[in-house]
Amino acid sequence: MMTNDLQDIAATLDNAMFSATATPQLGGTLSLDDAYAIQAMSFDRRLERGEVRVGMKMGFTSRAKMVQMGVDEMIWGRLTDKMLVEEGGSISKADYVHPRCEPEIAFLLKKPLAGRVTALQAQTAIEAIAPAIEVIDSRYENFKFSLTDVVADNSSSSGVVIGAWNSVPDDISNLGMVLSQNGKAVEIGSSAAILGHPIRSLIAASRLVEERGEVLEAGSIVLAGGATAAIALSAGDKVKLDVEQLGRVNFSVEP
Amino acid sequence: MSETQIQKIADQLDEALRDARSIPPIVDQLQAGDVDTAYAIQEINTARALAEGRRLVGRKIGLTSQKVQAQLGVDQCDFGMLFADMSVDENGTVPFGKLIQPKVEAEIGFVLKSDLTEGALTLVDIVNAIDYAVPCLEIVDSRIADWQISIVDTIADNASSGLFVTGTEKVDISALDLRLCGMVIELDGEPVSLGAGAACLGNPLNAVKWLAETMVRSGRPLKAGDLVLSGALGPMFPAKPGDSFEARISGLGSVRVQFETDTALAETA
Repeated sequence: MMTNDLQDIAATLDNAMFSATATPQLGGTLSLDDAYAIQAMSFDRRLERGEVRVGMKMGFTSRAKMVQMGVDEMIWGRLTDKMLVEEGGSISKADYVHPRCEPEIAFLLKKPLAGRVTALQAQTAIEAIAPAIEVIDSRYENFKFSLTDVVADNSSSSGVVIGAWNSVPDDISNLGMVLSQNGKAVEIGSSAAILGHPIRSLIAASRLVEERGEVLEAGSIVLAGGATAAIALSAGDKVKLDVEQLGRVNFSVEP
Repeated sequence: MSETQIQKIADQLDEALRDARSIPPIVDQLQAGDVDTAYAIQEINTARALAEGRRLVGRKIGLTSQKVQAQLGVDQCDFGMLFADMSVDENGTVPFGKLIQPKVEAEIGFVLKSDLTEGALTLVDIVNAIDYAVPCLEIVDSRIADWQISIVDTIADNASSGLFVTGTEKVDISALDLRLCGMVIELDGEPVSLGAGAACLGNPLNAVKWLAETMVRSGRPLKAGDLVLSGALGPMFPAKPGDSFEARISGLGSVRVQFETDTALAETA
C-alpha cells in the first residue's frame, strides 16, 4: 500500500484515539508490514504532540488468545508517558472509546536488549518488576478487529497503572494474580498464562521490535501481556490487582 | 422418597462406577435441589465401600469456585469421600479404561494432625489442626452422562470423585500465601488451566472449615491423618489417553500424572 494511504489511516486512527470515538475496521487489504507502518506513523503523531516514549506492550501472549484470534505470533504496541496512570489514581471513562483492563507484569530494563537474546541475557537486563494493570481500548467499533487492524491501532494499548517496583523474585513463572472490581475477585490467574513464563515475553519482545528496526532501550518498560481475560470498565469502578510477591495496584474509573 | 428408591439410585451409581459407564442424570428420580437425599445416596455407597474393606483416607471438597456455583445455581460447596484405592502414584499412569470422562484440576491437599470434632470451628482451629500441605492433581469423573450434572447428581455421585495424585514433599502452611499462590496445569508443557488460591472460596482454608463443620454434622468428623483436597484453584480440563499433566502450585512444588495411551488400551483389550 502507498505511504500516503498508510498516513491517512494513521491519521484516522490517531484522531479516533484522540477524540475517543470509534472508527470502522480497516478491512482485509493490509499486510502485517503495513499495519506496523501505520502504528509507527500514528505513534509519530503522538510524539509530535509532545508525548515521550516510555516502553512497549506485548499482546496475544497466551496460547488461548492466539487460537481465538487465529494467529501464531504475538503482537506489540508502543507506550508513551501520557498513557501512564498514577497508581491509586483514576482514569476518566470519557477519554476512552470502550475501555477494558487486564492484569499484567511490567519489566523495567537496566540494559538494552536487541534481537535474539537468551533467557539469561533477558533476565540480567531486568532492573525491576512490578504488578501492573493495562487499560486497553480498541478504537474500532464494538471492540472487533482483525490481526492487522489491531496492530495498526497500537495493539489496543491506551493506558497502564504500574505498582511499586520490586527486585526480581527467584521464580516469576507462577505468580498468582487476583483482579478485583468493586471489592469482588473477578479474574483469577497466574503469570504462567504469559507464554508459560513471563521471561519468554521479554525475549519475544526483543525479537519482535528488531523486526521493525528497533531495540528495547535501557530504562524502558515492557508490559509482558495479559494474564487473564480483560474486564470491561464502567464509571465508578474501583479496580485492584494483587500479585503474589509483587504487591498491589489500584485505580478507579470516573465518568 | 422411600428407602427402596434411594437404595435403587445408590445401586445404579455404584454399578456405573464399577463398570465405568455413565447413566442418565439421577435428578429426574428425585426432587431438584434435594441435597439431603443426595447425601443419603452417597452415604449408602460410602457404607458399602467401608463394608467391602476399602480404607477411607480423606475427603474432597467440590464446587468451591463462585463461577461453578453460579453455573449449577447453588451457593454452597459439596464433599465426597476419598479411599486409599483412589490414590495414584506421583508421576504414575492412570488406566483410562477405569474412568468414564475424566478431567483434571489442581488443588492444595491438607493433611491433619488432630481431630476436628467440634461443631463450631474457627479458622484458628483449622490452622492449628493442619499438619502440612501438598500439591494435588484431582482426577474428577462423573458417572452422569456427558457431565450433565445438577447439584444432587454430583453429591449422590460422591462429588464426582475419581482418582487423586498427591505430591510427596510436606510443606508448612506458614510458608505459603494461600490466597495468592499461583496455579498452573500444563499439558505436555502448555498451560491449560490457570488460577490462584483465591479461586477456592477466597482462601482454601475457608473450604476446609466448611468441610470440617459439615463432617461433624454428618457423623463422620475429620480425624488426624486425614487428607483434605480443598477444591480446585482453576478450571478443570478434560483428559485424553496419552496426555501427561503437571500441576504446579507456587510454594508447594509440582505433581504429575499420565493417562494411558490408546496403544496400551488396545493391548489390554
